[in-house]
Amino acid sequence: MSCDLVMIGVGGQGVLTIADLLVRSAFASMIPVTFSPTKGMAQRGGFVKGEVRIGRAGSGMRIPPAGADIVIAMERSEGLKGIPYVRPGGTFILYDEALIPAGVALGKDRYPERKEVLAAIRGSGADLLLIDPWSRPSFDGITVPANVFVLGAAVGIEPLLGTIDPSLVERAIEERWPGRADMNLAAFRAGRALS
Amino acid sequence: MGKRILTGNESVARGALVAGASVITGYPGTPSTGCIGSIIDLDLPGRHIEWSANEKVAFEIATGAAWAGRRALCTMKMSGLNVAYDAVISVAYSGTNGGLVIYVADDPGVSAGMAEEDTRGFALMADLPMLEPSSPSEAYRLVKEAFEISERTGSIVMLRLTTEVALGAEPVEVDEIPPLEPAEPILEKDITCYTKAGSAICREQHRRLIDRLAEAEKIVRELGLNRLELGEDGGVGIVAVGAVDRYLDEGLEAFGLSRRDVSILHAVTTIPFPREEVRRLLARSGTVLVLEELEPHFERGLILEAREAGFAGRIVGKLDQTLSRIGEYALPEVLAGLSEALGRASKDDRGPATKIPSPAPRPITVCAGCPHRGTYMAIEMAIERAGFSKDEVMVTGDIGCTILGMNPPFEILWTEVSMGTSVSLAQGYVHAGVRTPVIATIGDSTFFHAGIPGLINAVQHRVPLTLVVMDNGWTSMTGMQVNPGTSEEFQPGGRRVDLEAVIRGLGVDRLSVVDPYDLEETAGAIEASLKDGGVNVVLARRECAIQARRRGVVPGRIGLDPEKCVLCKECIRATGCPAISIGDGSIEVDYSQCNGCGLCVPACPTGALFKGGRDEL
Repeated sequence: MSCDLVMIGVGGQGVLTIADLLVRSAFASMIPVTFSPTKGMAQRGGFVKGEVRIGRAGSGMRIPPAGADIVIAMERSEGLKGIPYVRPGGTFILYDEALIPAGVALGKDRYPERKEVLAAIRGSGADLLLIDPWSRPSFDGITVPANVFVLGAAVGIEPLLGTIDPSLVERAIEERWPGRADMNLAAFRAGRALS
Repeated sequence: MGKRILTGNESVARGALVAGASVITGYPGTPSTGCIGSIIDLDLPGRHIEWSANEKVAFEIATGAAWAGRRALCTMKMSGLNVAYDAVISVAYSGTNGGLVIYVADDPGVSAGMAEEDTRGFALMADLPMLEPSSPSEAYRLVKEAFEISERTGSIVMLRLTTEVALGAEPVEVDEIPPLEPAEPILEKDITCYTKAGSAICREQHRRLIDRLAEAEKIVRELGLNRLELGEDGGVGIVAVGAVDRYLDEGLEAFGLSRRDVSILHAVTTIPFPREEVRRLLARSGTVLVLEELEPHFERGLILEAREAGFAGRIVGKLDQTLSRIGEYALPEVLAGLSEALGRASKDDRGPATKIPSPAPRPITVCAGCPHRGTYMAIEMAIERAGFSKDEVMVTGDIGCTILGMNPPFEILWTEVSMGTSVSLAQGYVHAGVRTPVIATIGDSTFFHAGIPGLINAVQHRVPLTLVVMDNGWTSMTGMQVNPGTSEEFQPGGRRVDLEAVIRGLGVDRLSVVDPYDLEETAGAIEASLKDGGVNVVLARRECAIQARRRGVVPGRIGLDPEKCVLCKECIRATGCPAISIGDGSIEVDYSQCNGCGLCVPACPTGALFKGGRDEL
């Protein structure tokens, strides 16, 4: 089995971190994997994309248009950039947070309306899994991190579920944050309940 | 020793260490930075790894080590090779003793905002073998071959990765890094090799250069680096150069074909041109498709061979307008090429995509707390106080984070050319007779890299201008590398070069050292410089906010009184600070980003934003 995933968001949201967790998980189970990051400079706040291809030996790292089995978008407007990637019949996960750029806040630029974004995603022929930022639970009084929460939702979706054993992702979380993985594990498990 | 997940950059670094490179130098530049970045903090006895002042310096150091018989690697992005090339071409003619490898990263598709150049043109002009791996695994293997070819031929060897290969990661089979074999350096005195003393010597060097490339062509063939898989007679032949090779399986599948149905040359070198493999491919094929990113260097070579061989079939590539010289290649380009070569559409030809609304523009700006924010704001204040508007005062920009002043809300910079250009470009505007003051801006690392000669020139020719040097102590945009001005505590064994003393030593008319968090002081210094017509420098100094935060430095604390906020958004308009957003009935401050720099406080007309807490510094 193979799974092509595109992850999209804004610098600082941990998009590339969840890509890294999937790459480690695939590697741990000896499944071929490639990871191609696209990011701007060292600053926060710019467009970030990660392309992860699992279970394909010797393929190029870029995922073709309408080729992604799963697209994970962490920001509503940026999510529009993920639509050309998702294949009809695939799954589009939208973490429905709006991070408003300064130009929009000042009334100079337009931020797309929510219903426009949702209609465009549905128009791609993919299933939409909408995740409400407010649905994140707390752990020790702190709201769990969004990126690992969303990753939890993604691992239950085919063909990712058939490709990577979710318990390997838990192990990758423990390895990435040794000794302080609790909050991320809680986020991951809460996310799993969504799919 | 087993597999590890490595990027192409890490693969090159590891491969070089395993191959026994003892000196590794470079200058940061996306997408090449991660190569030295992955090894500079390792404890590797007997080896020297450094971020050099610029790429030319880096290459010259690597050359010295190689001429003394050691293996040396030098790393840079494509623009860096432009800087180093004067030395590269001279050393190409001289040749080398120890293995000398240049790793250069090209950026087709321009993910990092520079000229979309193809450095194979440089290899062509200097007759240098250049290896072009298609993946991190291949990069790891080829860096070792590069050192072998370099030592066997006496030629510099270039290793060219494109963005996808340099930044992309996959499991790579790697070896342990062995301890460096001790070796006595060679001191060889031979002016026929190591100087350009006289035309007879130079012509002899040219002859030897040509011989070395011919020798490299033989070795590349003997090592089987360019892999030829021949299919049926009269079928389609495909040349895939570099990363594009890895999309062939998917591409062929879309036409109901597999690798066995066509002939394929996976080309790892364009220079030296794999003539024999190309001849064999031409002899077997009715139509040849050339897949290469950027310039049609391989395709031109293939056309010459086709002419020699009397090839009567079609050649599909860029020169027949099928494929573009612009952008990165992946599956869509492979499908377009195959479709033209096969004369039919692919199985899953998808119609035009449905219309998708435009996402909100998200221009990148400087981080919350960035000292450059204060400098941009102060430049605008100074221009206005000197009696001008910002649309009539030329402010040249330079490479690095400092160029972000071109974006909203500042929109203060007019130009971005190459490292150090701001200082000299500004002088041209002055000599052209521009009546308003001319300002140049540059960061600390860029100033050390290539800005100093421009300032020397301005001093010598008494060119009235204001140079604002934005010194944050780090090479920041590429992800925090040290530069000559970085604090000594981050440069084990190194020494901090005092930027202020350097500028003073050049003999400028006026030097003001200011803190860009202090808007009045910074604007005052710039305004005074604009008015007095000398060769003036304003040195705006404050450490990069990201680096300061990592060490727990808290410059201050900003308070917000939501009752006083009238949502006029002046704070956002003036600063564009990413820590400020619009909340329910008032602005909100994201204290996970805010470092209390205080630049938003004077922008607030109602006193809702105020300085609170104590300076912890």
